[in-house]
Amino acid sequence: MTESATVDATLRALLADVLGLGEARAAALTDDSGLFGELPEFDSMAVATVLTEMEDRLGILIDDDEIDGEIFETYGNLLAFSQRKVAD
Amino acid sequence: MTEHRLRIDPAGTPRATILIVPPLFEEANRTRRTLALAMRALAADGLAAVLPDLPGQNESPVPLVETDLARWQDALAEAVAAIDGPVVVASVRGGALIDHRAGAAAWWRLAPVGGASLLRTLLRARVAADREAGVTSSLESLQATARNEALLLAGNALSPAMIAQLGSAEAQPVEPLRAIGLGADGIVGTPLWLRAEPGEDAAMAAAIAADISAWSTSCGVS
Repeated sequence: MTESATVDATLRALLADVLGLGEARAAALTDDSGLFGELPEFDSMAVATVLTEMEDRLGILIDDDEIDGEIFETYGNLLAFSQRKVAD
Repeated sequence: MTEHRLRIDPAGTPRATILIVPPLFEEANRTRRTLALAMRALAADGLAAVLPDLPGQNESPVPLVETDLARWQDALAEAVAAIDGPVVVASVRGGALIDHRAGAAAWWRLAPVGGASLLRTLLRARVAADREAGVTSSLESLQATARNEALLLAGNALSPAMIAQLGSAEAQPVEPLRAIGLGADGIVGTPLWLRAEPGEDAAMAAAIAADISAWSTSCGVS
């Protein structure tokens, strides 16, 4: 698997774990799929859990000031942010 | 003050007692149902299973803000000392941070986690909630405040001592210990403790009970 595909797979598994999406719903997420504000499970505690799990599973560190509302708007935005952090 | 505890006994005299140390804070609620199922499976296997309330958690009369990890370690040591016969301590996640002072015959830990990681998530939930309320805060500003005053983090009122201890807490070495994770070579299941909405997993509960029981037997506790 390429690094980009690994990040995508890791992120889908993580969202499935935190949001209880199940494999099928997690696999069906597209770049345009809405997250925060769209999925009822995605509250502020879930955002916090996702960030800490991203750090653990992707081996990255995320600062507060890197996080704005847009990152959690869609799956595509969250994936792009993760790819950028992993490449840093 | 006596804390409430959930105890499930086998039909006859128990071979030994398994004391379950739950995960901390919200993670305890997310896993309680599955842990209770595992306790029933342990009882069916001839073991007594006890799940104590930590002071300040679940049905405890103690305000959470008056507790810290040291008090939880004391409470668990007392809970184990009050049990007749051999005790195996089985901890999940942050429970592994407070189980080492209990006088157990053996220890079992599922997916142990460092206190810093738990604290980071709690602080972040507060930052996210503050942002929604139009208040600007950061992990650094909250931690600075927490040196002198209690903080409300994701519904948990935590004292400066609790926050300081969490920030540096790691699972301590104990012997004999079986530490196990999730996955094909561990417990098959999903990390229910992360779930935004509580779920339950009967197969995972059965796997937890079977592994604890086998470990107890291999430690000569049976």
